[in-house]
Amino acid sequence: MSAASAPTGASIWTVVEYQVRLARSFWRSILIVGVATPLLYVLALGVGLGTVVNRNGTGELGVPYLVFVAPAFLTAAALQIGAADASFPLMGGFKWARTFHGMAATPLSPAQICDGQLTWIAIRLFANSAVYLAIMAMFGAARSPWILLAVPIATLTGIAFAAPVAAFVATIEREGNGLNVIFRFVVTPMFLFSGTFYPISQLPQWGQWLAWVSPLWHGTELARDSALGGGLSLLAVLGHLLYLVLWFVVGLQLARWRFRVRLTK
Amino acid sequence: MEATVTQGNTGAQSAADAPALIVAKNLTKRFGDFTAVDGIDVEVRRGEAFGFLGPNGAGKSSTMRMIGCVAPVTSGTLRSLGLDPATDGPRIRARLGVVPQQDTLDLELTVRENLFVYGRYFGISRAALRPKVAELIEFAQLTERADALVEPLSGGMKRRLTIARSLINDPEILLLDEPTTGLDPQARHVLWDRLYRLKHRGVTLVLTTHYMDEAEQLCDRLVVMDGGRIVAEGSPQQLIAEHSSREVAELRFAPGENAAAEAGVLAALHGVPARVEALPDRLLLYVDDGEAAVTRVREAGLDPVSSLVRRSTLEDVFLRLTGRSLVD
Ligand SMILES: Nc1ncnc2c1ncn2[C@@H]1O[C@H](COP(=O)(O)OP(=O)(O)OP(=O)(O)O)[C@@H](O)[C@H]1O
Ligand SMILES: [Mg+2]
Repeated sequence: MSAASAPTGASIWTVVEYQVRLARSFWRSILIVGVATPLLYVLALGVGLGTVVNRNGTGELGVPYLVFVAPAFLTAAALQIGAADASFPLMGGFKWARTFHGMAATPLSPAQICDGQLTWIAIRLFANSAVYLAIMAMFGAARSPWILLAVPIATLTGIAFAAPVAAFVATIEREGNGLNVIFRFVVTPMFLFSGTFYPISQLPQWGQWLAWVSPLWHGTELARDSALGGGLSLLAVLGHLLYLVLWFVVGLQLARWRFRVRLTK
Repeated sequence: MEATVTQGNTGAQSAADAPALIVAKNLTKRFGDFTAVDGIDVEVRRGEAFGFLGPNGAGKSSTMRMIGCVAPVTSGTLRSLGLDPATDGPRIRARLGVVPQQDTLDLELTVRENLFVYGRYFGISRAALRPKVAELIEFAQLTERADALVEPLSGGMKRRLTIARSLINDPEILLLDEPTTGLDPQARHVLWDRLYRLKHRGVTLVLTTHYMDEAEQLCDRLVVMDGGRIVAEGSPQQLIAEHSSREVAELRFAPGENAAAEAGVLAALHGVPARVEALPDRLLLYVDDGEAAVTRVREAGLDPVSSLVRRSTLEDVFLRLTGRSLVD
């Protein structure tokens, strides 16, 4: 990446390759999570809850409940996987097995180690979103081929959140509750307040503010728009995209910085 | 002695006049207001085995990490392979092999995968790695565990794997931070032999160790650090000659009588260049001729329960220079 490291042959792809190798030994659990999670959500919420919601006609939503929630589940799952993949494996790399310290002794720079990890997370998010979508489509959640766009949108949403999480995790020196804080007080509320289950217009003002700040709401709006077809203006689409890209870019810079601080003491 | 000889520089160079590969001047490492390495000057020449000794917390690992270009230098200058770690870290690291004090193996991968993955970080092609990895598995004597996960390996096996891994890029300089801690005597001797052969092939070795016999075996030159500073420097023999005597006689008196015997021993050795150190359980006489000293002590009517004469070792030097008590 940087000019100084070019002649050494070190590349972020070797970090990705390492992650692929690791994933090979966990493929069963990766597959189970990848398939079981969408199944559970679709059955419990889309189909189960949907039956209740749809009983009074599709009403304000205008579409069957499953069709309404499916794109949101996709982005929400990406957000959760992004957060999880930026947490525990990174704690391991810095603190438990200390593998990142091993990498830091090679020509790889801390920024390359960081970029490699995030690239891997993005790949994983993309694959996972595709599987997720395929499963939901089997239950009739897909109305138009445009829903395919929800896959890159979900990937962007997930990585936009994973990058700052990675930066935060790189600062955790002690065992402590740092990781639980992310999941309990950030990821879960985000899931609940980002228009996943109902439009945020149903929320009081403060709830809408929460949604606007949350990258998940922006991702969900985009995914839902692509799936249900064109309620959003071009400006709104650009605004949502820009917001997500901003999270990613700022998060990436923070993550590279914290990786460098952590790995060069 | 003659100028022509020193300037000649012909034929096989001994390590003594080979160019310096690592040059540190006034090298300093601070963590906050704490100074871990306090302005040390070090020169390591190509092809030599150089050791850092010193008690816990002396600053050995901090120094090694600066040389390994993973920790930035606080002040002073450091050049490795003629390059500046501050600007050329990746290029220097590409030519180093590092055995850190704490293992950084991936416990969820196999022995083979650990080596393979690590080689890839250096940009070595998969094809070139395959035979190299097999060779290093041999080197680490882990052939039977080659495709087993690293997690359940014993501490010593993991250490061997870490050492093998450090050779994946055919490094010019090998940095070994307490490489043999946790190894059994067999593995330690095998490793000495391997390191010796690497050195023979021209690899420069920089190591830290708490085993004085290891330092004596392996190091051409070494420094003793204490509190972040260098307190002595030289070859093992030079250090022994400078800071200890040729031999040491250890005298044990009946319990509680060691201290009382000290005065008598000093009197008996009057006129002999000797240093006497009283330990709770024995007296150490640092002398050139141990047997003669023991004879004189006995002739003076003192009767130690036991006596033992041995050669002075680096351990004597170490304890003399850095003290016997634990100061933390
Ligand atoms: N990251 C750090 N932050 C703060 N202090 C540190 C850090 N790393 C090392 N130190 C301190 O610097 C001093 C020297 O540590 P170092 O690890 O270099 O010692 P050492 O000679 O390798 O000791 P040992 O023989 O126990 O390995 C110690 O007092 C240690 O606590
Ligand atoms: Mg140390």
